[in-house]
Amino acid sequence: MNDMTATDSLVCVKFVQQTDGTPGRTLNPADEAALAAALHHRTTGKVTVLSMAPKSCEAGLRELLARGADKAVLLCDSHFAGSDSYATSGILAEAIRQLGPFGLIFCGRRAIDGETGQVPPALATKLGLPCVTNVLDMEPRSDGILHCRRLLEEGVEHLACQTPAVLSLCEYSYPSRAPSLSDLRRAKGKQVEHLDAAALGIDPSACGLAGSPTRVEQASPHTSGLRRVTQLDLDTFVETTAKLFREVLI
Amino acid sequence: MLSQIAQKHADACRFCWMCRHLCPVGLQTGKEANTPRAKGLQLSLTQRGSASFDANMAEGMYECLLCDACTNDCVTGFEPPLYIREARTQAMVEDIAPAPVVQVLDNIERTGNIYGEEKPTFPSKDNAEVLLYVGEVAACRVPQLAEAYMRLLDKAGISYMTLEQEPPSGAMLGDLIGFTQEVQDQGAACVKALDASGADTVIVLDSYDAAVMRQRWPEWGLSAKAQIITATAFLDQLVQEGKLKLRSLNQTATYHDDSRAARTLQEFEPPRALLAAAGIALSEMFLHRDLAKCCGSSLANAYMPQITLLTAQGRWHDALRTQAQLLVTTCPQSMELLGRAVPQDMELIDLYTLLERACE
Ligand code: SF4
Ligand code: SF4
Repeated sequence: MNDMTATDSLVCVKFVQQTDGTPGRTLNPADEAALAAALHHRTTGKVTVLSMAPKSCEAGLRELLARGADKAVLLCDSHFAGSDSYATSGILAEAIRQLGPFGLIFCGRRAIDGETGQVPPALATKLGLPCVTNVLDMEPRSDGILHCRRLLEEGVEHLACQTPAVLSLCEYSYPSRAPSLSDLRRAKGKQVEHLDAAALGIDPSACGLAGSPTRVEQASPHTSGLRRVTQLDLDTFVETTAKLFREVLI
Repeated sequence: MLSQIAQKHADACRFCWMCRHLCPVGLQTGKEANTPRAKGLQLSLTQRGSASFDANMAEGMYECLLCDACTNDCVTGFEPPLYIREARTQAMVEDIAPAPVVQVLDNIERTGNIYGEEKPTFPSKDNAEVLLYVGEVAACRVPQLAEAYMRLLDKAGISYMTLEQEPPSGAMLGDLIGFTQEVQDQGAACVKALDASGADTVIVLDSYDAAVMRQRWPEWGLSAKAQIITATAFLDQLVQEGKLKLRSLNQTATYHDDSRAARTLQEFEPPRALLAAAGIALSEMFLHRDLAKCCGSSLANAYMPQITLLTAQGRWHDALRTQAQLLVTTCPQSMELLGRAVPQDMELIDLYTLLERACE
């Protein structure tokens, strides 16, 4: 895996629920940037997209093939369902070992559903690679050293790191690229490759709920910071405003 | 075949027919396949394996002006042009786009414009702060509109330049093949040329160009250094600032809002304010402002002139019902299209030529 000369790159992507409440899934925004960065910095190597997702996400991966990825792999197995970030990073790491070697592994810095941001560093740890999180942009150098700008809470940090490496990209850091007609023609014959737990040689007890130390005990909507808005007709508005003024001024 | 979002719009259409009576193409041809809902239904059936995306279906996807009237009217929030554009991309990928469409693509690839002609150039001053982006339709087919506008700028004392090699904005190619990388590349080259001119204001004559510059370029991560303003809005400013003085023409006219100005740019007031300033009483058509019925685009006219003749006639029917004798528009494409079917009792005029008549 730790092949410093590898020119291929891999992008881990997640398809998240639509945020407008409509059915179906969409590509996580930070993962859009990760794919855009991988395509932008592609030189001679190939770009593979990898997702652990239900079978229904195959269409989404096909779309990424049309957007310039050379290969798409779907990790799909009922044993994977319910995996937390620990189990997910283990499954992804195993797939990457089988599919590699890769010079760079791109991820979005966090998914808009779970918001943990844990998978990229956990993945790097399991692969034994350096990790740069919150990447804004980067400049790969011919000596195998990657120069990155990463977002901190109160500024921007400039880092140099050795490759291979795992990078987590900030949302919108690289603009997404539309496919060209020739990309689309090339993608026409491409298929999404499927891998399950058996193909990866993963023990079912190491993935899914069984392999996840995290337990979500309860989830509830948060109410702090929400404004209470009431719609009023004109008469009630005038009456209420007059009352409020009286309370404040008198 | 379609992106997930476009497929969702096609699949989720309730086929309620509410957009059917607003489609300028469907209304004129009377073909069910020309209605927006039918296009959605066909693509949805394709996805479900009950129909195949063949040359016939592809042709139907091109029988649309991408005028957004259906989007504007869809109470459930669906956007037929989203999947129609992507279906056009697919038709190109599958090599099943109609031959006249492929011919227009070839024209664009050879010359940068839909006509496949060398684009005329216009007089230009060096290093002016204002740049007039003429656009291919005004340059090649309606130069009188561009020239009238330039004379108005002269009268207002505005020093302007034009580009000798004006690159396309991406508007035409985007409508022809969908928003692929090739279209974004056109946009990027245009931004580069506008930036290189050093202008701080770019006046855009054709609302199709202005719409792509304002709406799509930012989505593609492109932004020109200069402020981009429509020709009509710029002129309205000049009149308000007193740089252009108009006398009353004391006439009645009807005004045609073109679809991009109306529904993408939502620019309704500046042309009406200019007409009022020139003493033109307005007799509005039944479908105006955001509901305006498209008369046909120059792109569609280049590959399906029989249908665009019908759509132009459809708009003239609306105009005739206003009893006005004059139909005014700011859109070079509407000038080209409506100019094909002017009825006996009416006159077609672009706003700038009309304002020239009103200049003191
Ligand atoms: S696009 Fe909207 S208005 Fe048209 S048929 Fe579908 S749901 Fe109805
Ligand atoms: S965009 Fe215009 S022409 Fe096309 S289907 Fe909708 S209403 Fe009809």
